[in-house]
Amino acid sequence: MCRQLFLAAVAAICTIAGAACGSNTTSNATTAGASRSGIPRGGELLVSVRSEPRSFNRHAARDTTTSLVSNLTQSRLVRVNQATQAVEPLLAESWTTEDQGRQLTLSLRRDVVFSDGHPFTADDVLFAFESVYDEKTGSVLADSLQEGGKKLQVSATDPHTVVVTFPAAFAPGIRLLDSLPILPRHKLEGALKAGTFRKAWSLDTPPSEIVGLGPFLLIEYQPGQRLVFTRNPKYFAKAPDGGALPYLDRVVAEIIPDQSAELLRLESGQLDMMTSEISPEAYAPLKRAADEGRVKLLDLGVSRNADAFWFNLKPGAFGEDPRAGWLQRDELRRAISMAVDRKLFADTVFFGAGVPVYGPETPANKIWYWPGLPQTPHDAAAAKQLLASIGLSDRNGDGMLEDAQNRPARFTLLTQKGRPNLERGAAVIRDELKKIGLTVDVAALDAGAVIDQLLHAKYEALYFNADKSDLDPGTNPDFWFSFGSAHMWNLEEKAPVTDWEKKIDELMARQIATLDEAERKTIYNDVQKIFYEHQPIVYFVAPRIYVAHSSRVVNLTPSEYRPQLFWRPETVAVVH
Amino acid sequence: MTRDVGAALVALALVAAGAAPIVAPHAPDSHFSQLLNAPPTIVRLVDAGGRWHAPFIYPWRLVNQLEQRYEEDRSTIAPLAWFSGGKLLRSSNDEAPLLLLGADNYGRDVFTRLIFGARTSLALAIASAFGAMFIGVSLGAAAGFSGGAVDEVLMRATDFVMVLPAIYVALALRSVLPLVLTPGQVFALLAAIFAIVGAPFVARGVRAIVRSERRLDYAAAAEALGASDARLLVRHLIPAARGFIAVQITLLVPAFIIAEATLSYVGLGFPDAVASWGTMLHDASTNIRVFADFPWLLSPAAAMFLVVLGVNLALQDAGTVVFAESGEPRRGVKSGS
Amino acid sequence: MIRYFARRLAFALVLVIGVSSATLMLTRLAPGDFITESLGTGASQQTIAQQRARYGLDKSIGAQYRDWIAGAARLDLGYSMQYGRPVRDLIPERAANTAILAITALLFATLIGLPLGVITGSRRGGAMAGAIRAASLVLLSMPPLLTSLFLVFLAARTGWLPISGMRSATVPAGGALIDLLRHLVVPAAAIALPLAAMLERLQAQAMSEVIRAPFVLATLARGVPQSRVLWRGALKAALRPVAGVYGLVIGSLLSGSFAVEVITAWPGLGSLMLQALRTRDIYLVAGCAGAGALFLACGTLVSDVALAAVDPRVSDLRTERA
Repeated sequence: MCRQLFLAAVAAICTIAGAACGSNTTSNATTAGASRSGIPRGGELLVSVRSEPRSFNRHAARDTTTSLVSNLTQSRLVRVNQATQAVEPLLAESWTTEDQGRQLTLSLRRDVVFSDGHPFTADDVLFAFESVYDEKTGSVLADSLQEGGKKLQVSATDPHTVVVTFPAAFAPGIRLLDSLPILPRHKLEGALKAGTFRKAWSLDTPPSEIVGLGPFLLIEYQPGQRLVFTRNPKYFAKAPDGGALPYLDRVVAEIIPDQSAELLRLESGQLDMMTSEISPEAYAPLKRAADEGRVKLLDLGVSRNADAFWFNLKPGAFGEDPRAGWLQRDELRRAISMAVDRKLFADTVFFGAGVPVYGPETPANKIWYWPGLPQTPHDAAAAKQLLASIGLSDRNGDGMLEDAQNRPARFTLLTQKGRPNLERGAAVIRDELKKIGLTVDVAALDAGAVIDQLLHAKYEALYFNADKSDLDPGTNPDFWFSFGSAHMWNLEEKAPVTDWEKKIDELMARQIATLDEAERKTIYNDVQKIFYEHQPIVYFVAPRIYVAHSSRVVNLTPSEYRPQLFWRPETVAVVH
Repeated sequence: MTRDVGAALVALALVAAGAAPIVAPHAPDSHFSQLLNAPPTIVRLVDAGGRWHAPFIYPWRLVNQLEQRYEEDRSTIAPLAWFSGGKLLRSSNDEAPLLLLGADNYGRDVFTRLIFGARTSLALAIASAFGAMFIGVSLGAAAGFSGGAVDEVLMRATDFVMVLPAIYVALALRSVLPLVLTPGQVFALLAAIFAIVGAPFVARGVRAIVRSERRLDYAAAAEALGASDARLLVRHLIPAARGFIAVQITLLVPAFIIAEATLSYVGLGFPDAVASWGTMLHDASTNIRVFADFPWLLSPAAAMFLVVLGVNLALQDAGTVVFAESGEPRRGVKSGS
Repeated sequence: MIRYFARRLAFALVLVIGVSSATLMLTRLAPGDFITESLGTGASQQTIAQQRARYGLDKSIGAQYRDWIAGAARLDLGYSMQYGRPVRDLIPERAANTAILAITALLFATLIGLPLGVITGSRRGGAMAGAIRAASLVLLSMPPLLTSLFLVFLAARTGWLPISGMRSATVPAGGALIDLLRHLVVPAAAIALPLAAMLERLQAQAMSEVIRAPFVLATLARGVPQSRVLWRGALKAALRPVAGVYGLVIGSLLSGSFAVEVITAWPGLGSLMLQALRTRDIYLVAGCAGAGALFLACGTLVSDVALAAVDPRVSDLRTERA
């Protein structure tokens, strides 16, 4: 009897499993067919995201899933082509610059309608700026749409012309507008007036309420499972052959929190692509799958961001702590830069797939990277000498360094938990510094907790990501200026604390106000030089970026920047 | 017979742990940066040319760094040396380390860490089990002996501990403690958490035994003869629960070994430089290639399995069962009787 | 008995309030909050302060707790900051998904574990009994995280089964039910296998005791066939201790299995709790912990009552003071 029961159970499992073999997911294409250019139309693309969106309102959150939803359902005035770095027209079909870059006149596309049929006009552009600057909203985009802490002035001269005035001459100019989604005034004005704009379009909003200018429409959100998008039949942009865009009928973003499960799905064909690069560990299994023709694996070159190591440089951050005397010294950071073997770092953290980095720009930034920047040699003896110059030497013969009062030279390095690259990098730093006699205690916390420590300046050293959103340094004032909110080593200084920060402030102010590209570059090289001399942030290695997608996906324009394969979702197509 | 096998397995683990510095060929934190995730080196007697040698290994040569692929370097023979440099067995060539169970993703010898990890993990589990016993017996005996309000309060308190989600307690503790804890502090902390979480299981049983024993004639007789409460409790009632307590301790040990792995998830485990079976398994579970390519990283699971199996076999006639459930220590142990 | 019941229920209530209060306070005390989590680096202090005020995170911890407990008294468990929905609505949704998984797993476990337990319990010597016992011990000794990872890996390699999620994006041929069942196999097996092993061990233990009991020997002596004695008489008697743990098992299963739900992307209570923890959505964390405690407390109660019903000695121990 028991055997029969057992067999019955086995049979049941087999039946369920067997059903899988017979019924492969069939795509129910509605507009199947190929365009004249040979790019197939219709079909469904299955992408993965690692976490739930925080909101359907881009102003409320800056996590990757929320940005993805915004990129699919909303549109912007212009878009920075992530592959070429050129600015492309989107809702604005052309623009002119006057008054030495201070004024930007954009003419908008005509006959553009929102997904609910409501016409798009300059009024919606004004609304987008109103909402981003609204005090009550506290938009997460507000900081990136300012110049030197001042708002841009926007006005409409007619329903299809918008004039943007910068507070001062501003070289990056129009690039800034890439980050601003244009939202429907007719849907959201009430919420903005009532002061509830930030809560509008939260996750409990019925998808039919989400109206946009983007290539896709959200039609279903199943919490914890997936987001389903369908093509926006009213999308304004046209394919080069004059046909309708987007090519895809449907996009499904599966929420897969576990990276092993995500990888296994991609390998086994249950996923078309991820929305981020693959981890170094995933390279080998995907290479195997690629060799067997199951997926395509792309090498997109070096990342434009390297993980960053910095000390807390806020004056007085360490109070009475006797280590305050050396923890904030330039020499310490320069010694650390010299002590860490970047080759070993790349070998251990990225399995060799990385390039050494000595300053804030990686070689991926073709325009602003300065090859003339000196390269810190790997030199443990010189590092030790530097440390001796700030009073750290081995006084008791135990091989580790002590300060003048014989207290051990020791500090805590904070990093984010659950990010293998950061955790492994921190371990390499710890091991390398041990060789020159510095003791490092690594503590890994959740991202939120790390940021909390950063905001309160309650840390000694941090190894974290300090990614810059755009290649143009002028669009990252919050990083460069001493008053900036992403001035990592000392956030939002009231006045420049050091002379070199003051100098960088001056140079950057000139850099963004200068319209001549060659001159901007010269100034920025000077900035990089000062940065190198004082190393407020030490960079070690920038990884190579690899992405993988199923062989169904075609017409991709890869960029090393996230989402690498999906930054221009309307042109992605699948063979089906 | 099977009981002897079980006892032998447990004894083997304890001996290996005790003699870790001799048994393990390397130091637990030494790493080989050119051997990340290298497979186990195979101990051979016959070389590629068919000639016999004393036991030797071929070193691994990196074929593809990004894919972490290795092949044996057949041109170099690294003989193994017994009792050299204070180690039981090691490679005589420092460039060709002996990796009996391969290397992890920092290039550290898995076998070495397994042996040193046994020290940490077994010591922690045993210390916690004794702590749980001490707290559990005290509370259980007090509750069973006093009855009334004391009993009620103590038993409801144990209910509370059994239901409280251990993972939140751990998270909250992590947040109020200093950022950096020394391995010794982590050890003490984990032992304290496990002892508190494990105590209710002991307390409930001890209480029941003390209650029922107390009504028996011999207890009444001892009381009539003028034995003090304390004497009655310590000399008569608690000894009656001795068998139960012994079984509970052996049940708690494996449950705690498994629980340690879980707590490294919430950042309460040992720092990664310290080898423990929990941290090793945690590292393995974050390595997405572990099942397909690096199965040797699972050796702590195998070791854990053998120890738990050993305990189970040794106890199988005592009518008990040990099981690892959804990772939370409070639910980790149940008695089958 | 009614007084006993009322007492236990009152205690369960205190327990739920205690657990959710404790988790609320503890997660609130931890460094970082929903705002730092969702804004990331680069937000200005001003923006952060504004957002904190918006979500009431600028209030003192005491005030926050007071407001929450006052709401909870009216069954208002607060708003999830991430989902922008009342916690009270979110939890039943996810609990239902967890229940589907838990019940399937329990069914699997019972169907496999109990019969195997009868075999090993009644035939102590045989090779088959030995093999089953060894398999149980293997399953019982494995950390659940690795079991589920391994099953996911297996499913992906064979390509037979979907490895994550609960439903397909488009209902495939065969209907929604078959689709759900196929998604259920991997997570349910990950939970059911160790559970089946536990039931097998318990049942074997009880069985071997019952089989030596005088009434079984007497029935055999009367000439009733052995198999019938085994399956009718002894099984019935031996089921009791197993029935006793069911309440506990159901309780703990319903509170959501962390590892399995996260690895197989099952949208249940366990993965909701983890998501809430990650984003520091404190009211949702408190709600999930409270729900878990409620299930567990009810499970304990059910199993105590069940035990009391089948075994008078236990009932004496447990209820004499009630």
